Amino acid sequence: MDNVILLENIRKTFRSPMLRIKRTAISDLSLGVRENSIFGLLGPNGAGKTTTLKVILGLVSPDSGTGNVLGKPLGSKSTRARIGFLPEQPYFYGFMTAEKAMMFYGHLAGLDTETIRNRSEKLLSLVGLPIGSHLTLEKYSKGMLQRFGIAQALLNDPDLVIMDEPSSGLDPVGQKEIREIIISLKERGKTVFLSSHQLSEVESVCDSVSIINSGRAVAQGQLDDLLEVKGVSLVTFTGESERAQKVFSPLARKVHTENGKTHVEVDADKVYEIITSGKELGLYLQTVGPFRKTLEDLFMEIVRGQEI
Amino acid sequence: MRNIAFLALNVIADSFRKKIFYVVFLFGLAMLAPSPLLPSFELGLQLEFLRDVSLSLTSLFGAVLAVIVAVAQLPVEIEKKTIYNILSKPVSRLEYYVGKFLGVIATLAIILIVMGIEIILLIYFRLKTFSPIVFEGIFLVFLESCVIAGFCYFLTTFASIPVSVLAAIFFYVLCHVKTGYLYEKLVEDASGALRIIAWSVYYLIPNLENYNVSQQVGYGHGVPFGYVARVFSYALLFTALFIFLGYNVFRRKDL
Repeated sequence: MDNVILLENIRKTFRSPMLRIKRTAISDLSLGVRENSIFGLLGPNGAGKTTTLKVILGLVSPDSGTGNVLGKPLGSKSTRARIGFLPEQPYFYGFMTAEKAMMFYGHLAGLDTETIRNRSEKLLSLVGLPIGSHLTLEKYSKGMLQRFGIAQALLNDPDLVIMDEPSSGLDPVGQKEIREIIISLKERGKTVFLSSHQLSEVESVCDSVSIINSGRAVAQGQLDDLLEVKGVSLVTFTGESERAQKVFSPLARKVHTENGKTHVEVDADKVYEIITSGKELGLYLQTVGPFRKTLEDLFMEIVRGQEI
Repeated sequence: MRNIAFLALNVIADSFRKKIFYVVFLFGLAMLAPSPLLPSFELGLQLEFLRDVSLSLTSLFGAVLAVIVAVAQLPVEIEKKTIYNILSKPVSRLEYYVGKFLGVIATLAIILIVMGIEIILLIYFRLKTFSPIVFEGIFLVFLESCVIAGFCYFLTTFASIPVSVLAAIFFYVLCHVKTGYLYEKLVEDASGALRIIAWSVYYLIPNLENYNVSQQVGYGHGVPFGYVARVFSYALLFTALFIFLGYNVFRRKDL
């Protein structure tokens, strides 16, 4: 698979117009996004996520570094015909109805009126917005605007969909629907690049992630590789025993019981001993597998610069 | 061209939705309305006076509306982030910049045509005479508005709305006084290198008095075609210059 987005050593500084003070938004940032994958860009507030998206879209020019999107240099107009973009907290012309706004953005995307009309109906229905409503966008709630933003981003049937905080302003049902849309895009061969604060969302849909902090990529790769703790296994038993803590603790890294199950994190070379001890305690072995931390654990570990 | 047309149409639709726009527009019409109540001269003088005053007021309101419509584009689009949804589509910055400006110009043209029609109707109902000559003056007011709008639009590529409005007012006054007081002070009283600089600055500022033909139109003399062609080229030159300068700032601008 090829890289749909490739950034190499991108640096971007902004200068305060009055004080002439330079602020580095991105420093030496490199990342690659594989075709037909869901990529998550994570980072705390002010880490440089939105600036990275703007660099990819050509809205901001990098001071140095190179990159290409869909095989063309950054900022290429023809590339944007194959991109769908959902900005963070999107704003639209309030005087338009959803259909009129879709017509306007569709025309700018180079589509003909008939195609826009057909796709608009499908997309507005997909995101749960009423069709044929006379309600103008200025009267839409935040969640409705977010849904409309997603619909307009998909209007040109893009190969690459870039979303900045796609679940922002949505209720849990809306968030689940958006996750389903994102996954369905991948199933249709599209590539999705999303920037999000919602770690559970990223963990549930993304194949790979990049965590940036202070404008630098501090962790990057396939999600499974990043979350798996090398050389550590998780042994799960059905059942609980009062002696479990005492018996497992000398061998294990961590032991905890939850909902009638005993979970033991242990170095891979001690798995056999744990299984044997579990049998002696009268516990039933349920699963043995590599230990995975949560994305939240990884994120906090990296951002705080601490080892768990 | 397709994108430019869609963007221009969007500016027109957006402009006619703004309340501030209607307040100024209606205020302009309200100022024209009492014109028939002005002193009762003999019929010929009344007609001259009415055409002269109406055109002068239209020129002033044309300038105010040019500033209002032009400054309401780039800074507002950037602040409201509506620009992201447009420039993330296959729309070049040149198309965006020119499309928006053409929308501004088209909006001004529509307003001035409506104001021109109202002047003609006022004259007709008051003096029972049809006076299409007013549109010769309205056309020159439109050209003046284009220059002012171009200047404001250029300013907004790097300045805030309040700064752009203040600078536009200064520009408007400067461009109207340059041939009289300013010429004497800047060019005739200066000497040596200062005189050359003053002379250059003087000619870099458009002379908006060229577009003040309210008296000629008022007297019913009309404006010779050669003169209209000359000031049209003059307006085109300055407007194109401002658009060129503005685009060169905008194309490098981080959004």
